[in-house]
This record gives sequence, C-alpha cells and structure tokens, in this order.
Amino acid sequence: MNTVLRVIMLRIGQALATAAVLASLCFVFVHALPGDLALRVAAARVGDERVTPETADRIRREEGLDRPLIVQYGQWMGNLAQGDLGRSLLSGKPVKQELAYHASFTLQLGLIGWLLSYLIALPLGIMAGFRPGGVVDRITDALAVTLASLPSFLVGIGLITLFALTLRWLPPAGFRTGAHMVLPAFTLALSLVAFSIPVIRNAVVEVRSAFFMTYARVKGLTPAAAFRHHGVRNAAIPVVTYAALQFAFVIDGFVVIETLFNYPGLGELLVKALIARDVPVIMGAGLVIGFAFAVVSLLADLTRLWLDPRGLEEARA
Amino acid sequence: MSLVLEPVRARSLPPSVWPLAALAGLALTGPFLAPQDPNAQDLMRVMEAPSIAHLLGTDHVGRDILSRVLAGAPHSLGLAVLCVALASSVGVALGLIAANSGALVRALIMRLADLMLAFPGLLLALLFAGFLGGGIWPMLIGLKLALWPQYARMAEAVATSVLREGHVEAARLAGFPELTILKRHVLPSVLRAVMPLATLGVGQAIMSISALGFLGLGLKPPTPEWGAMINELLPFLAEGFVQMAAPCLMIFVSVLTLTLAGQALASNSTGRAQ
Repeated sequence: MNTVLRVIMLRIGQALATAAVLASLCFVFVHALPGDLALRVAAARVGDERVTPETADRIRREEGLDRPLIVQYGQWMGNLAQGDLGRSLLSGKPVKQELAYHASFTLQLGLIGWLLSYLIALPLGIMAGFRPGGVVDRITDALAVTLASLPSFLVGIGLITLFALTLRWLPPAGFRTGAHMVLPAFTLALSLVAFSIPVIRNAVVEVRSAFFMTYARVKGLTPAAAFRHHGVRNAAIPVVTYAALQFAFVIDGFVVIETLFNYPGLGELLVKALIARDVPVIMGAGLVIGFAFAVVSLLADLTRLWLDPRGLEEARA
Repeated sequence: MSLVLEPVRARSLPPSVWPLAALAGLALTGPFLAPQDPNAQDLMRVMEAPSIAHLLGTDHVGRDILSRVLAGAPHSLGLAVLCVALASSVGVALGLIAANSGALVRALIMRLADLMLAFPGLLLALLFAGFLGGGIWPMLIGLKLALWPQYARMAEAVATSVLREGHVEAARLAGFPELTILKRHVLPSVLRAVMPLATLGVGQAIMSISALGFLGLGLKPPTPEWGAMINELLPFLAEGFVQMAAPCLMIFVSVLTLTLAGQALASNSTGRAQ
C-alpha cells in the first residue's frame, strides 16, 4: 500500500511542479513582452481604435497592474491555486468554459485514435514477435520505420488527398458528424502505431524466450495456451509503460492534427491562442495538457504495479 | 574535431550512414542550386502544373516550387542540426559535470533533467515560439530546452560507468590530470553513445521544426522552410498535388535517412543485431 501511496504522491507532485513552472513561465512572458501591458489588455477588451489612455489607466488600477511585480506574481499564483483561470482576451468568455468545451473534443479524438492504434498494433506486433525475422516481422518493421519518419501532418495530408479529394468517401475537415472523425482518428492512430509496434514486438520476443515460458511448454501447454496464460501479462508491462510515455508524443500530434482537420480540440485552441497571444487561454490549455500528462503517467504506474506486484515487494523489503 | 570524429572511424561505419553525406550536401549547397529566385512572385502564373520553365510547378503566388524546396534545405535541415548540436553539447557537458561532482550537484542536475523530461517537449517549443512571435531563436531555445535532458542522462550514465573502469584508475595513478582523463578516456565513450541518439534526434528536430512551420509558428514567411511551404499550399491541395508532394517528400526522405542511419549506428555501437 505504501508504494501505491508514494507513486500517487510523486505524480501529484509532478503535476503541481509542472503547473508552477508553466504559470511562472507565462507570468514572465506576459511581463517581458514589449509594450504597455494595460494598453494591450485594453485593446483586446474594447478594440484597437477605441483605446484611450484613460481606459488603460482604469484597467491598470482594476487589474492591479500598477502594483510591484512580486505582489502581482503572488496574486497570479494565488488565483491559480483557487482554480481561477481568468477570461479569454479574445472571446471574453471564462477560460474554464472554453477549456471544457474543447477538452471534450480532444478526449473523443484521443480515445478513438488510441484504441484504433492498438487495434492495429497489437495483432501486428504479436505476430511479428512470434516469428522474429519472419515475413510479418520484416513487413511491420518497414511499416514502423516509414510511419516513424512521417510527421503526423504528412500522414493527414496523404489521407485527405486519397480519401477526401480523390475517392470522395469522407469529408476533408470539420467535426459535425461521425464521418468527420474517421480521418483525424486514423491519422493519430497511424502516428502512434509507428512506435507501439516495435515495443509490442520486442516485449513478446523477450517474454517468449523467458525460462518460465520454456517450463510452460515442457509442462505440455500449446504455444498459444502458454502465451495466453503466462506470456500476456508479462509482455504487457513494457507496453503499458510505453503507452503512457507515448502520451507526450501524442500532444504534438493533437496540436498538429486538430489544426490540419480544423477540429475544435485543445490543440487547435492552443494554436489559435498562441497566434493571438491570448495568455490566459495559453496558460489554461498548457495546464490542462500538463495535468493530463501527469494523470496518464499515474494510471500507467498503477497499472504496472497491478500487473507486476514485484514492485510492491521490493519497496517493502 | 579529431576528438569528435575519432569514435566514428569511417571503416567501422555501417553503409546506411553514407546517404547522410547527400543530405549534408543538400543543406550546404541547396540555395545555390536553385534555378530561380525562390521568393520571386509571378501572379500571372499561379498554381501552374509542372513544365520546362517550372519543373515542379508554381505555388499560389507564382513562385517556383523547385527553387523554394532547394532554398529551404538549409532552414529545414541546417536548423535541425544546429538545434541538436546545441542541445547535445549542453546535455553532454552537464552530464559529464554531474558524473564528476559530488552527490549534491549530481542530484541537482539529474533531477532537473528528469523534471524537463516529464514536461511535454513540443509544448515548450510551442510556448516559446508562440510568445516570442516565431522566428529562429525562440524555436531553437524552445527545442533545446526540450532536448538536452536525454543527452545529459546518456552522458551521465556512460561517464559514471567508464570512470569506474580499470584503465581510468590506472591513468589516475599514473598522475594524469583529471581533465586529460576526461578527454582521453571518458569523452570518446560518451560521444560513441551519444552519436546514434543525436542522429535520431536530428530527424526528430526536422519533424518538430516543420511542424512549427506548418502551424504558422515557425520561421516567418516568405522564408522557404518546408513546413511553412506545406502550410501555405494546404488550401490549394486539390489543384496542386505535385507542388504539395515536393516539400512533403523532402521531409519524409530526410527523416527516413536519419532514422535508418541512427538505428544502424545504435546497433553498431551496442553490437546488438536485431
């Protein structure tokens, strides 16, 4: 139980550290940008033409921008600690509301893409691992290297050209119907497959050469039964570890794929906010992504402990 | 220079490393090979199909695609190399310092590396590029911050194990100064381990730089960077397939070459054939 608690504490600590670093970074950037901050906020609120020095002064007093930097920094972090992310400079809506709307789209795309990638990678990886150096192994290896050398926007452009522009089976962009999900989800899945096939394949190869597998065969189990009863769980350990690491790679995938397909997820929100320098939204999106990363890592840690209780034993000893 | 090249003597190199020379040549000579001015617009000839005058056609403002692809090589390839060179030298230096110092400094450097590794890398580059408004420097700084920890971890691990070996002990007993030992005995092993990582890293950096260009957060237009070209050509995908294919293929072939070379170098240095 101790280990589980320690793992949870570690990941919470990681999430808090990420949040603190990100929030501080945003604060520094906001104040380091050239020009008067109050004037910029005023311009974003009432429009460029209608800004007067008076509005800027009013905003300076209202928002406390005339106070010492250290006090403002304390306030910035204090608001954040209370869960107050402020309002978007662009739309004027609360950042929380914007994040909740876009996060649901990213979650859908992410889950479907991730499931799809394992539907493709698991059978291929296991088949390749059962016969290292065989035909399937060589084909999947070439496939994985090729996909690993393709940035996700190239995969996406290829799929759009083929299925939307040439065959006209699917819509090229948008988000209204299920058909809109197909191309972005496949793009994400194919970028993930590039890295999960070799991991699954190596895990299977490793497990199959283990002594306990030889023993299971000697005991009289068929290769398939031996793998089902003794192999799967052991092979799953590195795969689960990797699935969490993969999430870090997925993040740039989201940003790029959502922008390419005009899909209203967190990544697209982040890019739009970055281009418009909408700082509260940038920070909010960054925080959500950072937290999601920590949560996924935590889930992976716990799954790994469940699959491989030796981790618990070692900690106790 | 000899120090860097020494661990990778030519005769021990696997054959898939040689195509890298072609990439390097392209990055160095690309702009001089361009048949036309890559930024010269011709609004009478927009989105033209390939012809003798424009071998790969023209883009939406009538610029020659072939010239732009060639002129883009130093931006897309050169910057990636520069980025990895910066990140790996900082990483190796910090890793060596960590391996050679007391518990406190070592813990400080390595925990910082762990923290940075836990932070999604491209997000950092995106934030830098977004806040500082694109251009070369924000991108380089952002990517460098994201990339150095893996080199630091590798350098620290290799240096620590080498420092425990007999020949290092012998050199120390023979009275060689610590810095000479580091240079002669530790650095070659570290560089041998870092080389495959850096080769793969350049491929990753090409993808990150072109992704930033594609998002409109990389190099400023009209710089002919491949990712930015794809961003500009995307609305005209239906009319200009060849034009779009050109920068896409350049990115794919470059990254593939680097991936294959990196994998070959890695299995070469560990002696593990998979």
